[in-house]
Amino acid sequence: MSQNPLLEPIHGISLEDYSAACAKLANGLTEDGVATALGVELPVWQEASLLWTERMKQDETFHVVTLFGQYFGQADQHPKFSNAAPVAAGNQGYTEQIKTDKHFYQELEIARTVAYEYGLDGAQWIADKYGIALGDFQVAASKWNTQIHADMQADFQGYTQRQDAWREKYKQLFADAQGGNVADDITF
Amino acid sequence: MEETIRQTQERWFIFLEKLEARMEEMCTAAIPELVKVFDEDQDPYKRAHGRMLAGLVGQLYQMMEKANEVKEEKILGPAFSFGHNTHTFREACFERHREFEERVHQHIAQLREAAGKQDLESFYQEQLAAFERIRDQFTCKQCGGKITIPKMFFIATYITCPWCQTQNTFMPSTGAQIMLHQARSLAEQRTAHLLKEYEDSRPKDPALNKKYLRAMFDEWNKITPDMAAENEKFYLRLLKDYNIDHL
Amino acid sequence: MPEEEKKKTLSYLERLKQQALTQQNYGGDVQDQAARMEARDCPNCGAGRAYRHGLTNCAYCGFSFMDVQLTDGIHIRKDNNS
Repeated sequence: MSQNPLLEPIHGISLEDYSAACAKLANGLTEDGVATALGVELPVWQEASLLWTERMKQDETFHVVTLFGQYFGQADQHPKFSNAAPVAAGNQGYTEQIKTDKHFYQELEIARTVAYEYGLDGAQWIADKYGIALGDFQVAASKWNTQIHADMQADFQGYTQRQDAWREKYKQLFADAQGGNVADDITF
Repeated sequence: MEETIRQTQERWFIFLEKLEARMEEMCTAAIPELVKVFDEDQDPYKRAHGRMLAGLVGQLYQMMEKANEVKEEKILGPAFSFGHNTHTFREACFERHREFEERVHQHIAQLREAAGKQDLESFYQEQLAAFERIRDQFTCKQCGGKITIPKMFFIATYITCPWCQTQNTFMPSTGAQIMLHQARSLAEQRTAHLLKEYEDSRPKDPALNKKYLRAMFDEWNKITPDMAAENEKFYLRLLKDYNIDHL
Repeated sequence: MPEEEKKKTLSYLERLKQQALTQQNYGGDVQDQAARMEARDCPNCGAGRAYRHGLTNCAYCGFSFMDVQLTDGIHIRKDNNS
């Protein structure tokens, strides 16, 4: 395999390191915490982080960003972050469930989307309601996406029915909390 | 039968009219509030405004979904069962629906544009001025010697003390760090007239697009000169993508 | 427009606005911090951190501040390796 210069470590920070760091940042770990876990000082981390995003922007083959997604999904296994204390005072049960229970993840993904449509920050809603931090949510997303895509192709109807049912459920829930939708009283 | 068709069409028109009236009412009342929230939102990313906007757009989509459901159930279904001679009925109902959807999209655009663009230029100028005020007020943590920050930095940067060679770390202000991520948007704001010139050209003139892109990157590089080398690589990629799309 | 319906729209709007204003931003509010200068002493020999032969090791006792290979970046360059 020819060496892709876009995958060379930056200041010793590999794409695996960077991807895992992003997942941890989204979970609330500070930049100082990330730098410490990676064994570098803040200026080194900030440069490397900035340059990794530049590499993704420059890569017309999307190879770097694809690998980023893959490594992001494996952030929990990254040895350099195994000692980094979990920062978000999360709910371990739900955080675990979202990574092991595909339907639970899919349901919450819909809930999150519908929350935005009702004027709530969906990520914050998930954190408030289930104690799942954004980083863990995104890790679950990159873990499940391929499988969900396959499910959709295998049984499109079943997939759509489940999605629609969840969508209805959360639309109802958020609408009720707002005292209904603006046009609920208008009928044919 | 004729009468049922006529009544269905009439009810469909009235239904859509009511939705449009409600939409109008909501947007008229919402726009001044939305502008107020935008102006008062202290968050540099204007997230409270973003949430409110999403909630309003969500209601418009909700109305659109509602119309679609009714169309499916009361117009498309019956159109089949009414049998022949429903062509005029269908066309009239569909045309009215198209108008309705266009109205929804106009309202969405109105809501999105209501607050105007974030004034990134002022924000940037404030950061530059703030930096000028503080750049020669730092001292070395080791020897206390005076250190002047050579230029505006947007990320943490090592600064060597000119007196004792101690390696200090300069942490830019939060505002300066945010500016790094807003530099492209500011460059786009500065060159929006060139993009418009390209988009208004008929047929679209690739030379105008290149002119815009070059000018936008020039501005971007002026705002964050340290990133110029990286920006240029990105510029080449965009240019290449554009050329492939317009062979 | 009947008053009843108008009231409903306005109350939705008001609730939406309050909610948008009061919901916490994910990760908390952005803390506006002023620029500052920091320096690190060598945890091994206690000396101030001088730049001599690079950034990665202590100039006096050789203690490794960072066990990485610096590459050519934005401000940090390859020759900043000790």
